[in-house]
Amino acid sequence: MSLGSWLELIASGLITGGVYALVGLGLNLQYGLMRILNIAHGEFLMVGAFLTWMATTSFGVSPLLMVPVSFAVLMAVGMLVHRLTFRRLAATSPNLDIFEARGLMVAFGLMFLVQNFADAVWGGDLRGYDYLTEPVHIGGSQFAANKLLLLALSLSFSIALIVMLRLTLLGKGVRALMQSPTGAQLVGIDTARLHPLMFGVGLGLSGVAGSLLSMAYTVSPSMGEPYTVTALIVITLGGFGNMGGALAGGLALGVIEALGMHFTNPSLKALLSYAVFIGVLLWKPNGLFNKRT
Amino acid sequence: MSQHNPLTAGPGGLRRRSVVQALAAGAASVGFPAIAQAAPVRVGYAISRTGPATPGAQTSQEPNFLMWAEQQNAAGGLNVKGVKRPIELISSDDRSDIETCVRSYEKLMGSDKVDLILPPWGSGANFAVAPLANRFGYPMLAPTALSRRLVEMKLPYFFLMLQQPKPMCEALVDMFKANGVKTVAVIYTDELFGLENYAAFKVALASSGMTMVEDKSFPTGSKDLSPVLRSIKDKNPDAFVGFTYPADTVLASRQSKEIGFNPKFFYASVGTAFPFYRATLTPAGVEGVIGMGSWNPKTSPGAKAYFDAHVKSQKKEPDRWASGACWASLEILTAAVARVGLDRKAIRDFVAGNEHDTILGKIKFAGSENVGTPGTVGQWQKGEFEVVWPQSRATAPLVTQKPAWA
Repeated sequence: MSLGSWLELIASGLITGGVYALVGLGLNLQYGLMRILNIAHGEFLMVGAFLTWMATTSFGVSPLLMVPVSFAVLMAVGMLVHRLTFRRLAATSPNLDIFEARGLMVAFGLMFLVQNFADAVWGGDLRGYDYLTEPVHIGGSQFAANKLLLLALSLSFSIALIVMLRLTLLGKGVRALMQSPTGAQLVGIDTARLHPLMFGVGLGLSGVAGSLLSMAYTVSPSMGEPYTVTALIVITLGGFGNMGGALAGGLALGVIEALGMHFTNPSLKALLSYAVFIGVLLWKPNGLFNKRT
Repeated sequence: MSQHNPLTAGPGGLRRRSVVQALAAGAASVGFPAIAQAAPVRVGYAISRTGPATPGAQTSQEPNFLMWAEQQNAAGGLNVKGVKRPIELISSDDRSDIETCVRSYEKLMGSDKVDLILPPWGSGANFAVAPLANRFGYPMLAPTALSRRLVEMKLPYFFLMLQQPKPMCEALVDMFKANGVKTVAVIYTDELFGLENYAAFKVALASSGMTMVEDKSFPTGSKDLSPVLRSIKDKNPDAFVGFTYPADTVLASRQSKEIGFNPKFFYASVGTAFPFYRATLTPAGVEGVIGMGSWNPKTSPGAKAYFDAHVKSQKKEPDRWASGACWASLEILTAAVARVGLDRKAIRDFVAGNEHDTILGKIKFAGSENVGTPGTVGQWQKGEFEVVWPQSRATAPLVTQKPAWA
């Protein structure tokens, strides 16, 4: 195989991995910070994709413009959902374990709700539009422009989130909450404000991912689910609550899948992903990138 | 389709949309006293309105069911041996889940005891429901099933409207051969549909002198086929053949454009003949793509009338493959009920024993298989999916060199 082919293969893995990372980061924010295992995460990605598709095909809005719009809309939805369900749940659950179990049930419910909402509003048909599909030549290899945009934006959003968590006071508060919820509250960190905000940011990121995916892939009410599963693998790889780990985990999973598909068979992709997943759970149950063992 | 995912297995989706529509259509014609008195003909089916099989089911199949009931009821009802009776559709969502689908049909036939059933969508669901329908003695004319094994099961009440993998692949290989194709690369979805077509294609290819330079399977709903397409591109085949489902068809096309893979012939399966394919990739983008298709409005005056009625009633175009077969199956069923009434054994004998006039031409069955119409190949040309092979069925001449992806 030529160097160009290798480059193409690894880059196509990174492109897929970038989206995995973005979805994984959003879920990690919810699970790592609040112990909400949001099974409906991928469904909100689907909503972001549909919003972008609708704005583009019905109103001629540029999909690029819809990226921040999706973020804002889904963030608002996230804060509302948190207020309506998880806030109440947190107040009535006697401890964190029970909250986690109940939260999972609520998320299941949300999943059906959102999926059927999309089905009722937009119907079950496959949708799509043509945007930046022209090939771009880089060195000896070529890629669709929309895929490169996908990679650039998913990485930017992921890195922006990580930088925000590292450098700002808000981020410090969030990280403190992840390390020790009780300790953080003792030193005056306002969970009543931070939790809904971060839940919203998590959903916003999945909206961004959906918006980006709609540029390159077909959109349908059932598109979100596989991403929820992938996001779970990604945060397990990276370690719960470890943002840098989720980014690296997402990219790594994308590349592993691309290489695996090339050298074996796409039918074995799921086998490959789950083998990695089980392997990590067996050997490094806290994630590849967590220092705690 | 067979993806049974525990995450979707919820209490979702039971809807009675079609019943309401059928009743509304019935109510609109209350003016006719004869109809108000006649008991409705209860027609049951389960079909995908949610889940991965939805795009196919809602393009090729359910719109036809709804339109059929609407048309018949508007005309005073279904002619049951001379008596007009309104059609009442009893339908539910199978959530693209085969188990739900089978249970729904079990209920329709076993406990609801509907008068007639209409088939579910897809090879897998038909494979599961056909033996059951046979046991209950309900004739089933399936417009969206391709499977040699379904033919081999020799179910007397089951009829396949589509040309099966063997004639479809033979037509394709025939066309390749006539146009000097030497090398072919194949990808196929690892479900019943893909596996059977791949097997039939391999057999058809064996004596043709062409070589298969690559063959790989993939799971339906894949997000990335570029690693496979790149390795196919390196082998530079004359023709690319994909036994794909709708989302895969779009993905394979888009990613081929992306990596600059543009063989002389680019063939894809389910979804290629869908209006959605043209809408997503733009008419210029699909120019020259070939695929499974068997008719278009030019095929017959009946086909043209059907096309126009579909656009008017369902607000969308039918696809140029299974939609036509679905309508033809309803034409046959209507004729059978007019002739023999609702005696299901008699309907079965009528379907099996006669040649039927349909929008697709004359259809007749040998066992379960439609042997009236030959295997065909379609091609996108200037925004229409034309039948290009065999020449006896062609609505336009074949373009033998696919233009570059636009």
